Amino acid sequence: MINQTVKNLFFKEFASYFKTPLGYVFLVIFLFGIGYLTFEPGRGSFFYMREASMTSFFKYIPWMFLFLIPAVSMRLWSEERKSGTVELLLTMPVTVKQAVLAKFFASWAFIGLALLGTFPMIITVTYLGKPDYGVIFLGYLASFLIAGSLLAVGGFFSALTKNQVISFILTVCVSFLLLMAGSPPILDFISSFSPKYVVDLFESLSVLNHFDSIERGVFSLSNIWFFSVMISFWLFGNIILLDENKAN
Amino acid sequence: MNKQKENYLKVILGLFSMTLLIYIGSTLFKKVRIDFTEERLYTLSNGTKSILNKLDSPINLKLYYSKTAANKGTEGLRAFNNHFLYVQELLRQFVSNSRNNLKLEVIDPRPDTPEEEDAVMYGLKKFNLTETERYFFGLVAENESGTEKIIEFFDPNQKDKLEYELTKLIYTVLNPQKKNIGILSSIDVLVDDLNPYMAQIMRMQGKDVNQSWLVTQLLSEFYNVKKIEKDTKSISGVDSLVIIHPTGFSDDTLFAIDQYVLNGGNVLVFTDPNTVSLKSSSMYGTSSSPDNNFKKLMDKWGIELQENSYAGDRYLSGYGRFHPNRPPGRLLALLNCNEVCTEQYNDNITSGINDAAFVFPGVLKAKSIEGVKHSVIMSTSNKGNAYRAQGYELNNPDILWKKFTEGSSPVVIAYKAMGKFKTAYPNGTKKKEKKNNKQFLKESKKESVVIVFSDVDFISDQFAFKNTFLGASVANDNSTLFLNSVEAISGDMDLMSVRSKGRVNRSFDVINEIEFEAEKRTADKVKEINASIARFQSELNQLGSKANAGNIALLQNEGIKKKKELAKNIAALKKELRNVKREGREKVERIGKFFQYFNTMFVPFFVIVFGIYYNYKRSSLMQGRREIINHKKDSHHTENFTEVKA
Repeated sequence: MINQTVKNLFFKEFASYFKTPLGYVFLVIFLFGIGYLTFEPGRGSFFYMREASMTSFFKYIPWMFLFLIPAVSMRLWSEERKSGTVELLLTMPVTVKQAVLAKFFASWAFIGLALLGTFPMIITVTYLGKPDYGVIFLGYLASFLIAGSLLAVGGFFSALTKNQVISFILTVCVSFLLLMAGSPPILDFISSFSPKYVVDLFESLSVLNHFDSIERGVFSLSNIWFFSVMISFWLFGNIILLDENKAN
Repeated sequence: MNKQKENYLKVILGLFSMTLLIYIGSTLFKKVRIDFTEERLYTLSNGTKSILNKLDSPINLKLYYSKTAANKGTEGLRAFNNHFLYVQELLRQFVSNSRNNLKLEVIDPRPDTPEEEDAVMYGLKKFNLTETERYFFGLVAENESGTEKIIEFFDPNQKDKLEYELTKLIYTVLNPQKKNIGILSSIDVLVDDLNPYMAQIMRMQGKDVNQSWLVTQLLSEFYNVKKIEKDTKSISGVDSLVIIHPTGFSDDTLFAIDQYVLNGGNVLVFTDPNTVSLKSSSMYGTSSSPDNNFKKLMDKWGIELQENSYAGDRYLSGYGRFHPNRPPGRLLALLNCNEVCTEQYNDNITSGINDAAFVFPGVLKAKSIEGVKHSVIMSTSNKGNAYRAQGYELNNPDILWKKFTEGSSPVVIAYKAMGKFKTAYPNGTKKKEKKNNKQFLKESKKESVVIVFSDVDFISDQFAFKNTFLGASVANDNSTLFLNSVEAISGDMDLMSVRSKGRVNRSFDVINEIEFEAEKRTADKVKEINASIARFQSELNQLGSKANAGNIALLQNEGIKKKKELAKNIAALKKELRNVKREGREKVERIGKFFQYFNTMFVPFFVIVFGIYYNYKRSSLMQGRREIINHKKDSHHTENFTEVKA
């Protein structure tokens, strides 16, 4: 059973996104940006492709998240640490693990809400043609999972430093690396000095490969495994860092 | 070790275990998956699984894809990466269902490497991107005995047929010999060809030169083609049989066909209620097939061609002219089939066929027969209908249009019957010969397939090919449809049951409709303009015929006046034409803009409104609370003051 304190903390965190302009700015930039990129004039444009699928929409999601998720995650712990409220929080009847999970799920739910805000796209494809709803559902699931992974990374770096800007930059860098891990230039670079199994190892870390695989319409156990391990590890790191902070 | 160091070590160890766990998990759990796509793009059909189950020796699959070259190339080339991922994923499914008999190797052939040399040697299609960089995207399958078959290039447009192509490749590695196809026809579709020089001389002498139909010549490139005589008593030594225009066959031949099917032979039949390409067709008479005797056979297959009845479709009608002295226009008799005719049936025969032209195609009906499964291969659209016509009516397009009414369900022009059939000759051919044919079959020993088309003309030279400077070349998809059909009947039953994944049409229906409407209105306007010009010309001719020395000047003036009038009319009509075109374009653009604003502005607007409202409410609430607190503080202060005063 989920502890009542964790529940309260979750709702408090979730509500906090709507008490400051930051949450609204994030939502507006994300929804406007993804809409604009999907319809941007060009060969990849949704209207140019004339296909009732959301491929043009989902292909921009990881790149939108690359900058917007660090912006959400940077304040998770850095702000608390800087203002000293983290000590106050940890004196409450809540463990570090519970606090980390509550904050993580609150921010994940917030991103989930942002994704729900893109429902006009589903109306659009339904009006214009006959979309494959199974693939659309998986596209959203993949977007939600990629958001979870990047948020976990962001939470870790937010706990690492008191400075929100540093946390933002570190998260962007690591997220970019995780997104690009399977891309040919990076793999070429690694293969120039490493054996093949190291290249394979690196390729398996690619968030984008797993995202693409789900977004194509096939959901495999390896995808769930990848995102679960990824999220668990970064949250585990987050807990360790806060434990150390608490000890200090 | 202090706590801090221990924690850092934990994080590093965690990072290491995460990488390892992800790597192991990605390899182990790849096979457990759910295919969410509507067309089940990533799920193998039972036919494929059955063929893979028959594998008892290893086959190596080498997938050549120039990934590095594609990533360096243009955006269009990078788009092939998606198709490569699909091919790779499907091949992995093949491997995992092959009981370790298939081995897949993915090769990225770089310039000047042995891999590139191998790709060229195998005969894979090569595209030169730069002076050094070459692009390959093909597959080689080879078994232990050295048989190798290739798919020279994976065309993304043939995505729906990919599983069939891969299964066929494996099937042909298992069965590498060339198939024998028998052709039985009442028309001379397969004759001993004269040499081209003699044929030319005979033509110059005004003599008729009988030549094989080009489709049969095309067929002989892939199969051993054997002619079956019209009066043959038995059909043997052929893997599959093609019957064209079945009429006038002897009883023995019909009996031989019947027994061939019951023995598990597959048959492709081309019937036609009106074969216009036959030279023997008289002015008003029609040459039709099947005759009554062949109908008995078709009856046992559960397929019937309706007499004097034709399949028509207003939206698929072709553009042309019946006679050279008639103006061109839409012809009901010409059915130009695109994907609308095939997409709902997902048959491999029609995969990739979107330009097949039929002339007076007939109407096929299927009746249910126990143990036989009928499936439609091609039909008109939902708005197509059957119409009846005969004699002189067939030569008059206007009469045909008058006879036609729009329908509400498709009219079938090609059927496939699969299963076990019964004989049409339960008592043999003739009573007196009964004792000679005691050993005949009364029902199928094993399953077979019969495919029936309701048109013969579409495979004739006249409608499937066109003459060019370099000789005959294919005019449309008719010859491909013929080859696909032959391929379908010459394969294994399992191979035949591998259905095309189907291509669900996901284009913007709303936009297509607007554009179709605009095109229709444009065509009407063009017709109006042409009619005005024709009217003017006939008026001018009439004036010319009245001309004599006395009134020539007057008539010239009249002519100039009419010409001015016509120019004015045409200018007005052209303006309307421009408006119609612009309106269609603007309507599409308006829809595009609307959805762009809807997707970029709609929700953000509500988020902003909600944010303002919520924070206003919140601050009012806070203000209220502050006031209450202040008020309490004030009253407390006053009370204290009063007490002190007292």
